This record gives sequence, structure tokens and C-alpha cells, in this order.
Amino acid sequence: MREKNRQDPEDPVLPAVEEARALTCGVPEAGLGETFAIPIGPIHPALKEPIRFTFRVRGERIVGVEVRTGFAHRGIEFMGMRQGRNLIQILYLSERICGICSVSHPIAFTQAVERAAGIEVPPRAQYIRVIISELERIHSHLLWAGVAAHELGFDTLLHLTWRVREKVLDILEELTGNRIDYAIPIFGGVRRDITPEQYPKIWEALRYYRGLLEELLDAFLRDPTVEARTRGVGVLEPREAEELCAVGPTARASGLRKDVRQDRPYLAYPDFEVKALTPEDFGLTPLGDVYDKMVVRLLEVRQSLDIIERALEAMPDGPITSLPKIPALLAHLKRAEGEGLGWHEAPRGEVIHYVRLVSGDESPLVWKVKAPTYSNLMSWYPMFEDQEIADIPIIAASIDPCICCMDRVHLVRSGKEETWTKAELLRLSWEKTRRMRR
Amino acid sequence: MIFKTLFSQFLSRPATNRFPAKYMPKSVTTFLAQVQAGRDEIHPPVSVPPRFRGKIAYAREKCIGCQLCIRVCPAQVIEFKPAVKKIRMHVARCTFCAQCVDACPVNALSLSPEFLLADTNRNSPALTVE
Amino acid sequence: MSGWTIFGQALLVLVGGGVVGLVYRGLDRKIAARMQARIGPPIRQPFLDVGKLLVKETVIPRTAVSWLFAAAPFLAVLASFTALLYLPLGPFPPVLEGHGDAILVLYLLAVPALAMALGGFASGSPLGVVGAQRELVMLMSYEFPLAVVLVAIAWRLSVRGFAPAFSLGTLAAHPLWTSVGPLGVIGLAVLFLVLLVVTPAELAKIPFDIPEAETEIAGGLMVEYSGTYLALFYLADAVRTVVMAGLVVALFIPHGIAAAVGLSGAAASALDFLFWLFKVFLVMVAAVTTVRVGMARLKVDQIARGFWLWGTAVALGGLLLLVLDKVVRG
Repeated sequence: MREKNRQDPEDPVLPAVEEARALTCGVPEAGLGETFAIPIGPIHPALKEPIRFTFRVRGERIVGVEVRTGFAHRGIEFMGMRQGRNLIQILYLSERICGICSVSHPIAFTQAVERAAGIEVPPRAQYIRVIISELERIHSHLLWAGVAAHELGFDTLLHLTWRVREKVLDILEELTGNRIDYAIPIFGGVRRDITPEQYPKIWEALRYYRGLLEELLDAFLRDPTVEARTRGVGVLEPREAEELCAVGPTARASGLRKDVRQDRPYLAYPDFEVKALTPEDFGLTPLGDVYDKMVVRLLEVRQSLDIIERALEAMPDGPITSLPKIPALLAHLKRAEGEGLGWHEAPRGEVIHYVRLVSGDESPLVWKVKAPTYSNLMSWYPMFEDQEIADIPIIAASIDPCICCMDRVHLVRSGKEETWTKAELLRLSWEKTRRMRR
Repeated sequence: MIFKTLFSQFLSRPATNRFPAKYMPKSVTTFLAQVQAGRDEIHPPVSVPPRFRGKIAYAREKCIGCQLCIRVCPAQVIEFKPAVKKIRMHVARCTFCAQCVDACPVNALSLSPEFLLADTNRNSPALTVE
Repeated sequence: MSGWTIFGQALLVLVGGGVVGLVYRGLDRKIAARMQARIGPPIRQPFLDVGKLLVKETVIPRTAVSWLFAAAPFLAVLASFTALLYLPLGPFPPVLEGHGDAILVLYLLAVPALAMALGGFASGSPLGVVGAQRELVMLMSYEFPLAVVLVAIAWRLSVRGFAPAFSLGTLAAHPLWTSVGPLGVIGLAVLFLVLLVVTPAELAKIPFDIPEAETEIAGGLMVEYSGTYLALFYLADAVRTVVMAGLVVALFIPHGIAAAVGLSGAAASALDFLFWLFKVFLVMVAAVTTVRVGMARLKVDQIARGFWLWGTAVALGGLLLLVLDKVVRG
């Protein structure tokens, strides 16, 4: 057990982290009747996935919040590393880490393995990967918009937005064979080509969305009741977003221009020069509230439409994979030695896969997944501070939590709270690597 | 606000894909027979595009027993029958990733458009392909 | 009127009111669904819902104040059904005409809300307590504009010499639109609008359904209710919708069409009654269905501020216009 608030001059605790900690442990247990605790979750209509919140409220004002995770942890990395699966089998495990960002994980994973094993990817395959990723971004953001409307009590927008989303799901089904879990990326390229017969359907879907974009923006951004519920709610200041390492639209809504496609271009993104979108691109001063997060996500839908159009026009010819024969691929992967990092801008932010391969072993020695929601978790604390109970669902939904991607085991040892500094976490990870090498 | 959109919904059909029958028939097989004979109507299921990833289809004569499909299947769906050097697949476990289809060197496997696979028994003949 | 006649009429109105309430609830759900591009449940669904709830197990939480928890639904049902007896039903005067007036109806409309709040407090769940708090805050907010509207209409009637001014029968028999000048017409329109805005608040429907906010507090004050008690609250809510819409119709659009068509006698009454049902349906669609489908849920402080500041100001403005109209016309 460590004392809390121990400061290490080499590793200072950033102010936002300190404020978040104060929100959980620092609220004094006031006299009877002054504050009471409201549990939200793990099963609650506001939550799409199980996570446990405990809010300390005074009337309708939130004065403290505590988050407990671990309900959706399935041990996927363990299954990948320890149950004798080869990398191709693990690819489909990674696809099923999340249903909504279902191609983000395979894309990051295939990149990690390709970097570790030194596998080249032909340009046509990179373009196809980009197109599928951007289509997924559209579907995910429309899903989020519907869910956010539902949290606000505006079920009509949920139904109408999800009906609009059917078009992109139909296109994905046409291209990949399934609405979710597209099974497109494979080490060395992609598994299916986008044939010229499919182009007209994709163009039609793009036209459909462009036609609807203005109506979507109207319904979400210019509706008075939606504005009344989202403006000034759940504010995440830029300083807090930076210190708490927020990623994705959560960070961009606060004005930080952080986008993996812009900062470390990968796949075919260097050809598109993707810019991180913030509310400034809509003519607003970024506040970091829920309204800004809506703005960023809806603008990203438009950006994705642009990227898909340019990708279709500039699609290079060539093979769709560099190792088409499965036995050759399996043999290459078995021989491979080294470590690789794969990253992708999922609809929720940056997702990272780390893989360490050992020659002669079909399973990786280490496979580590960092989902975007894991980085965004801490931003909940400053967003909830001083808000009302009525704001809880929309603030929780505003970071677009994907708990199944994020979940890590939450250990509770004899009920005592422990705080680990960066140096201690590093030491723990060295110990873990040593254990795995044995 | 959104009211114009709301009222215009009255002019178009609901977006819902309807169930095959409005109410659950007492016997599904009788109902389907009636439909075949043209005495009853059914809402057809939504059509699927070509190359939809549905139930696995196995061309047994082409199979050479190389077991590549077993090596790549993530869900341990495929069982090898060493006596005849053919395979048996348990569709209840299948994740429809089609990796086995890609792996097969003689194109003995493909994914059909069939997706209505619900059953009460995991090992029923409908869910076992061999 | 002999006691037995009144009793017979009352029984007819009570049963009929319940049936009409549930049918209108079904129509509300169907229309809302069509506006959301869905098929929606069949119109008889509320009957099936109430029937199903009546046979389900009723669970009383261990931490609840059980007598209050059990009494609240009965209180709600009694109050809302009793309010039916004071409602003018188109060509027919209220069953209990002369035994109570609009002020009583106002109270009878408030009692189910209070009963739900009491039930929420008694439920022993923190979510129920939050929901009940919100219901009380909302109750205090919309009652004032509601009272102002009623008082304005009744005052104007009494000035014209119709008595008793607060009796709903009198109010329904003498619509004011033709008896006031242009200023008065604007004032009446303003009051009509205020009453239409108060209607979803009274019935706790979106945008004012914060006591029961599904995504926030999982049903709020209704969260612990199940079985028979929930069925009773459901019925009370359905009947309250009819009562509130009926109140709106009685105050502002009680006109009949039989005279214009040239009918008389029983045929005229039947036609006017059907017309009244249709008007109640229209008010429900305009004030409840369309609004609940087209807006997000507002927060309790926004609702309170909205009604206390804007609602009251606009209602008082309407009253002022009526007063001015009287002064101008002498």
C-alpha cells in the first residue's frame, strides 16, 4: 500500500490528474442528508456496456464520481498469446474485440505484425483498407449520434439516424460480405478487391450521404432542445485534455489538433493529407463541451466522404496482397522475429497494437492492445464535475465509450486504494517481460 | 425544427423489415407448407448481396484432406476425419470469417448466402456440414 | 336527478373514460411510431399492457414504506377517474355538475402527480427519490401558468354575467372567442398556447418527462413499481391525458357542429359527442404526441426556469390582454 499524494520530482503528477483524483477520494463524507450516492451501472439504460459509476450528489449537483471497470474483460490478449493460436487465428480474435470499431483493431494488428515480420503491403491494398476504415468511421459516428440523441430523450433522432446508417452498412455488406466484422485486412494486404462493378453503388451511397448531411447537421446542431441540453455541458478544457491524454474526437473537440492520420500517417493516408478537425472548422470557438464533440463527429463524417471519394478516384492497380498463398504466409509468420507497433485512428481515437514475435513459435510472445477509450477514461472526471444528474448519460456517451475495447482487469486487494507512479509501472512491465521470456 | 421531417414520414413506408408472418404460427412447418401452396403469404427475408458470408458450403469431392482450413480456423469449427481424409464442420461455432475458404488450395469451400441458421440443438444435422 | 341516475351515468363515464384513455394511448403510440418511420404497436396494445401487468407479481422493496408505496397508485387512479366526472363531454354536461368546479378539477389533476411523487419517495430507491424530487419541482412550476389561464377565462366569463363562472359546464357552454374584441382574441390565443405547453408538463411527457427520465434514472419515480401498481399508474396516466385534453377543449374549443349541419335531438348529440372525441384526439396529437416525438428532454432547472419566468409572464400577458380588451370595450 502506498501513501497517496506522494510527489516524485522526476515524475510530477499533472494538475488535471490531481483534480481527477480529488474528485474520487477527496470528497468529505458530509453530515447525514447532505450528499448521497447514486449508482449508475453496471446495468443501466444510459449505458450501452457495463461500467460502474458511483456519483456523490448534493440535490442534482454532482460532487464526486468514481468509475469501476472490469465487467467486460474477456481475456482476449491471453487467448491470443497463451492458447496456441497462430497469428491468422488471432486476427479474427482482434476483430471481435469490438463490434463498432471492428476493422480498427485488425488494421492496427496487421500493421503491427507486418512491421514485426517485415511484410510489404501493395498500394492497392492500402487504399482498400483506407476506404473500409472510412466507411466504418461513417457508420460509427452515425451510431454514436443516434445513441447520443437517445440519451437526451430524443428517440426520434435515434430511429431516423440509424435508418440513415443502414445505407453505409449495406455498402459494407456489398463490399465485404457482412455488416460488421468485415474480415478485410490480412497480413500483407486485403482479402477482397473492390471491383469496378461495385463502384457505382459506392458512388450512390456517397451521394446519398452528401445529400443528407445538411439535414443531419440541422437535426443535431441547430435543434433548440438539443442545444439546450449539450451546450456548456461536460466541458473538457484543452489543458485537461492534454494532461489526461485524451485522444480522438474527445481531444479534438477541446481544440487539440491530434489525429494519428495527420501526425503519423500510415496505410495510404499520406496521399490524402488528412487534417485533424476541430470545432474551429465549423466556425466555433472550441469549448470542449458535448456540443463540440457532436460537431467534430459530424464534420468527420463529411471528411470521410471526401477521403473515400478521393481514394476511389486515385485507386492504384496491382495485387491486393503480397502473400496470397496461405501456407507461405503461415510459414513466413512462423519464421518471423521482432516486435512491431501498429496504430490506427479508430472512430474513437488512437488504437495501438503491440506485437512481439519469436521465430519458431506461431503465437506471439506479447500482444498488447491499447484501445482509444482507455485513454479517454480519465477525461470523464473533469467532465462530470459540477454537472447535474440529468447530464450524466450524455456526458458518459460524449466520449463514445467502447468499454469492450477498453476493459482491463480491475484488481481490488483487501479494499485498499493503491496509487502507482510511472516509475513503478515501468518496473512492473519489466518484471512481466522477464516472466514471459522464461 | 424537425417537425417537417416527422410529418413527411407519414408519406413513406416504415423502415422496419417485417417478420415473415404477423403472428407466430402454431406450427412453422405447416405455415411454410401453406405458403408454398400459395394459400398464405410471407414477408420474404431481406435479400443479401452476392458474396455474402453465410453458412459454409463444402464440396466433398474436391477435398484433398490437407487440413489447411483447420490450421487457420479461429473458432475450431473444423474436425478432421482421418479415416476418409475429409472434414466435418460444426456451424454452431463458425464466425463466418471465410478464412478457410481463402486457405483451401482446391476451392472446396465457399460461403453460401444462407443465414437463417437458428436451431435448438448445436449438433443438429442442419448445423453440421460434412 | 336521482342519485341512481347520477350513479349510472358516473359508471358509464368512468368505464368509458378508461376505455377511451387506453384507446387514445394506443393511437398516440401508433402515430408516434409512424413519425419515427416505425410500424408501432397495434392500437389495442395498452389494453394488453394493463392486462399483462395486472397478472404479474407485485414486488414491494424491503426498504420501501410499504403502506404509502401501495396507496400511491390507488390515489392516482381515484383522482384521475374522479376528474372525469367533472369534465363536460361535448354536448353532455359534466356528470357531477353543480357539485364541484374547475378549481376542483385543477386539484384532481395535481393529485396523481403528487401521488407519484409520494410513491417515488416511499420506494426506498435513490433513483426514485431523485425522480420524486423532480416531479415536485415540476409540479410547482407549471401550476402557476395553469391557474392563471383558468382564472383568466373564468374572470372574463363572470364579467359577462355567466354564473357560476368556474363551473366547467358554464365554461364549455359559452366559448369566449365571439364575445371579445381583437385584443381579447389575441389574449385568448396566447392563453390557449400556454395551456397547450402546460399539457405535456402536466402529463410528464417529453420534453417534460424528467421525473421518469428513462435514460437518466431508469424510470425515476416509477422505477420500483411493478404488477398491479404499475397497471394502476398506467391507467391513471391514460385517463389524465383524456382529462387534460378535455379541459383544453372545454376551455377553448367547446364548439359543436350539429347545429351547423342542421341536425337535432339524439342525432345531434351523437354527432357532437363524436366531434368532441375527435377534438380531444387532436389536442392530444398536437400537445402530446408530436411534441414528445420532436424534442429532446429538458432538464429540471430549465423547466422550472422556463415555466416560472416565461410561462408565467406569457400567461399573465394573456390575462392582461383580456383585461385591456374589457376596458377598451367598456
